[in-house]
Amino acid sequence: MPPTTLERPSNVSDALARGRLGVPSVIFFVLSAAAPFTVIAGVVTTGYAVTGVTGIPLAFLAVAAVLVLFSVGYVAMARRVANAGAFYAYISRGLGRPAGVGAAWVALIAYNALQVGLYGTIGIAAEPVLDRLFGGHPHWWVVALVAWALVGVLGLLRVDINGLVLAVLLITEIAVIVVYDLAQLTHPAGGAVSVAALSPENLVVPGAGAVLVLAITGFVGFESSVVFSEESKDPRRTVPMATYLSIAIIAALYALSSWTMTVATGPDRIAERAGEDSVLLIFNLAGEHLGDTAVLIGQALFVTSVLAAMISFHNTTARYAFALGRERVLPAAFGQTSPRTGSPRVASLAQTVLGLVVIVLYAVNGWDPVLQLFYWAGTGGGFGVLLLIAATSVAVISFFARQRVPETLWRRAIAPGLAAVALAVIIVVALDNFANLLGVAPDSPLRWAIPAVYPVAALLGLLWGLVLRRSRPDVYARIGLGAESAAAAVLPEPGQPAPVEAGARR
Amino acid sequence: MLIADEFFLIAHNDSRGKARLHPSATGLGLAGALLGELVLFGQITVSGGLVTVVDRRPPADALAHTVLDQLIGESQHQSVRTWLSFLAQSATTSVGERLARAGVLRRQESRRLLRTSVSYVPIDLNVVAWPATRLRALLDRPDPPGVPDAALLGLVSAAGLTREVLWSAGPRAHHRLAVLIPALPAPLRELVAHTEAAVGAAVLRGGP
Repeated sequence: MPPTTLERPSNVSDALARGRLGVPSVIFFVLSAAAPFTVIAGVVTTGYAVTGVTGIPLAFLAVAAVLVLFSVGYVAMARRVANAGAFYAYISRGLGRPAGVGAAWVALIAYNALQVGLYGTIGIAAEPVLDRLFGGHPHWWVVALVAWALVGVLGLLRVDINGLVLAVLLITEIAVIVVYDLAQLTHPAGGAVSVAALSPENLVVPGAGAVLVLAITGFVGFESSVVFSEESKDPRRTVPMATYLSIAIIAALYALSSWTMTVATGPDRIAERAGEDSVLLIFNLAGEHLGDTAVLIGQALFVTSVLAAMISFHNTTARYAFALGRERVLPAAFGQTSPRTGSPRVASLAQTVLGLVVIVLYAVNGWDPVLQLFYWAGTGGGFGVLLLIAATSVAVISFFARQRVPETLWRRAIAPGLAAVALAVIIVVALDNFANLLGVAPDSPLRWAIPAVYPVAALLGLLWGLVLRRSRPDVYARIGLGAESAAAAVLPEPGQPAPVEAGARR
Repeated sequence: MLIADEFFLIAHNDSRGKARLHPSATGLGLAGALLGELVLFGQITVSGGLVTVVDRRPPADALAHTVLDQLIGESQHQSVRTWLSFLAQSATTSVGERLARAGVLRRQESRRLLRTSVSYVPIDLNVVAWPATRLRALLDRPDPPGVPDAALLGLVSAAGLTREVLWSAGPRAHHRLAVLIPALPAPLRELVAHTEAAVGAAVLRGGP
């Protein structure tokens, strides 16, 4: 081959380069799953009410710092992993396939919990809007069932909400939140802006572990940026940049909003006000200064935000189950798609059925949808994701220690090492504070039962992985490869993604 | 009829030429079939995730000739996955046109909401329904099908169309299909596996 062929314009490269994503597109994709109103109006207010800890703004900043450290190694490894975007793929490459199955079980539980938890908040989120439209509102579970049906149908039709619609919603959400924040800042309780909530001693109180888990819950979704490692304009730059920027944007927005809330109520009264107003707190605060229209816009956006988060988590969860079905770690049926829409049919249906079961269970027993469903499932799921992130940071170190690949010491060992230590500390403190996190008595059995779900699931998954190693080596070889597992049998070295040439991605 | 033609007809088995398989899987399945044709002609081979041209003489079919020219012209790209993604972008049109030239389908442009969409409608319903019927019958027979048919079955299964083809077939047919694919010649087996992986990756990617 004459060397000139390499320099002439390539149709293949050009055709494949079209449609590759740049930094802004990836950030939008990540933030669309973040659903800011859901976190600020829902998670943060309930968090203030339940934990009584005023260090929530600081917790967001601290967690962001840890996640940026974590991401350094995470994005470096993402380029070398099939099925990037799923934590268990990293864990099975770094810590062995049985550990990967354990992590997959944990991930399935955590993401399902985060999704079904949202059904608990849609009722109260829609209440004010329905009141204005119809002069009354149905039970929370009626609204939840309507949302459930919508999510189920959209999941089967594989309608990932149009990117433009999501972008417009997201930008409006952020704009409205910032306006709310400014109104709160300009009308501080007692006449002076208090920075008391930002003082570091708020994070060395009992219950600090609780707010750290809460903060992690707010960041869930940042990990999906690496899905585009192969489809981005410059894999070495786009995805890392988009990941860091996403974390920074989320942290700034959430820290600012949770701090201004304390400014408006006064730091000493935030827990009390949050307890009285629950998820309506920020709207009531906005209503005092901004007038009716601003409140209505915010309330409508809260509903769309929760819906968007539900759809996004539904799709994430269904794709997790789909990937496991492709690997044959779950029954192969989970790996089937609907021919006409390409949706992971069985996986999506299974998630939908779980949602129905949970809604019915809460409706029949009359359990509290906001605290006992939205908040418990949300923080419980967030704790699961925290465990996954911690295990992944260890997996990154182990992966780079065994693979001789050119990567700086900072990326392959120091940053993930620091992240692993910090995450381990958060886990220990969180476990210690779990009763605070849930808002139950220190001797409540739930305090241990909820966190214990994960080690039990991880252990069962690990054992299942070992069973597969002995009884079905063909399936064992596919663990962690996701959709790429189809090619596992024909790849020269099992576990390596298909070779991608440098020229094919520009 | 070449395997990409038959794949096209199976994926659009409808009196109005409407797709029964979603666009990304159709494109990847057809891309796999176009590469499969060249493997069956003995012009390329697939091994270790790479496509290698082994015979540069032009094949008789015009589309196969075009694909081979592209493979030769851009030899810096060898990854099967790169070629599957590239060919998938245009495969539905190029194979549809080939069937139109052969007089099996008729190209039809329709304008809806300011957008012109092209579909390929059947001229004779029996002709377009035949490939699916034929594959079903093949799996009901005890003797193994020929290599081209086995490769086509592999690609149909990789694209997620198995149930559409085997909707009325018994468990024995499903079992035959399951043993057929691992028994394919190595290059075709690998091509089918990469097609399945690419289809699954498209599902996982979702998003924008």
